Amino acid sequence: MSGHCDRCENPATVHLTEIKGGQKTERHLCEKCAAGLHVPSASKELAKLLKSFEPALALATQGPAVATRACPECGMTYAEFRQHGRFGCAKDYEVFGEQIEKLLKRIHGSARYAGKKPGGGTVHAPATRDDILRVRGLLDEAVKAENYEEAARLRDQIRRLTEEPGDGGSGAGA
Amino acid sequence: MSPPRDPLPPLGELWLLREGSDQDVVVSSRMRLARNVQGFHFKSRFRTDEAERLERHLRGALKAARPDLSYASMNELTTVQRDVLFERHMVSAEHVQESHPRGVAYSSDGTVSVLVNEEDHLRLQAFSPGLDLAGVDTQVNALDDKLSALLPFCFTEKYGYLTGCPTNTGTGLRVSVMLHLPALSFRPESKASSPEPGVVKVSKAAQKLGLTVRGTHGESSRAEGDFYQISNQVTLGRSPEQAVSDLQAMLTQVIDYERNSRGILVKEDRTRLEDVVWRAWATLRYARRMSSREALAHLSALRLGVCLKLIDNVALRTLHTLMVAMQPGHLQIAAGRELRPQERDVVRAQLIRDTLAPA
Repeated sequence: MSGHCDRCENPATVHLTEIKGGQKTERHLCEKCAAGLHVPSASKELAKLLKSFEPALALATQGPAVATRACPECGMTYAEFRQHGRFGCAKDYEVFGEQIEKLLKRIHGSARYAGKKPGGGTVHAPATRDDILRVRGLLDEAVKAENYEEAARLRDQIRRLTEEPGDGGSGAGA
Repeated sequence: MSPPRDPLPPLGELWLLREGSDQDVVVSSRMRLARNVQGFHFKSRFRTDEAERLERHLRGALKAARPDLSYASMNELTTVQRDVLFERHMVSAEHVQESHPRGVAYSSDGTVSVLVNEEDHLRLQAFSPGLDLAGVDTQVNALDDKLSALLPFCFTEKYGYLTGCPTNTGTGLRVSVMLHLPALSFRPESKASSPEPGVVKVSKAAQKLGLTVRGTHGESSRAEGDFYQISNQVTLGRSPEQAVSDLQAMLTQVIDYERNSRGILVKEDRTRLEDVVWRAWATLRYARRMSSREALAHLSALRLGVCLKLIDNVALRTLHTLMVAMQPGHLQIAAGRELRPQERDVVRAQLIRDTLAPA
């Protein structure tokens, strides 16, 4: 982790690998020189993303009141969160409700959890149209290949996917 | 100033030095989970003494869940000791630099480490040599289950585990592998007809799968010595099992791609390949001063030579030992004193010469 900045004598703390037109270039900079170059950092990118859809959100919701609404638990306002991209406590997720849901969708392509629950059990993600289409494709292939055992399994899977209400809350008990 | 003391067991016990699957391409596998505990603010909003109270609380829970783990408060360590932890990937760069009360619990071989009061209250991580996603999965989830019986984690059925940064919300999971892709980074000699290096294609393909390619120390770090990290990005809407199987599917292809590219190099560009490998060997064997960046570049070329059996008297374990031992923190621990950067370059070259000298 040693090494000096490409532009001055300070230690390099920002390391960039840029791949452009098939050419890989590496740059090693100190914070100061990197700031001068407008190097995107992960948190800056997130802040930009947050800002980029703010006007649309403000129109869609309750106007400027949203930005100044403060979390009763930690005092964080939505404007502050937007600036730093870090929550102050778990309650912020609830306080900034709709904004957070949109943000999470924007980052992950989904705002519904899928995975285990603390203490046991699982939360299943609601099936999307894509999931169902994908399994239908597999079913077609299995039928073509005369793999009827697999086809039966896939048919049952499609039935489950289409029957389940997409509430994402089908936990298997704690 | 007292001489720096190694906070960790001897380097020889480190997990990285054990054998693993597909090690010619996959150096290591890692999984981490981000967790926060109810009743405390997140790091960005810690009140006075809250970080200290939380550290004590979490340290107690960790001791109850895994009495075999050691614990170190970062503020009680010297700068050099912190660097050693960082160089073994047991703590992040932020964890080294910050000043609030925070710590790390770790197993003696470094397989498991838990960061306390990093960006989240807890960051649980497990490592394994080579390709072993199932192994790190089992390790880290067993620890998570034990801790969740002792600590009420911030969790909702809608969003899953609530984290300090929205990019981790949901599973809080980052599963990653460190790859050595020298053949895919190799650029053809004639620039006129040069196609994209393979790593660019890998990076593009990864993006389509919701995976990301980074340098050796994760976020915003550079790819040193053709070592790359591939990891998942998405933590909501996709279960951990899916994230792991997506990564596994991608890896199967990248491993083949790198091996095929190595095969093509051996067949079509053997002289140039051998030249690169033997020049690296010669430099490492005889140089009198070497920066860590230069050393890693040569060790990378040598690693390729060893994997292709162009060089047969060096073990991968030796190279992996050097890759860790030649870093600033480890050099200073071994020397028993602080070393200026210029001094380090001399000591580093000596260490490499001694290690690679024929027995």
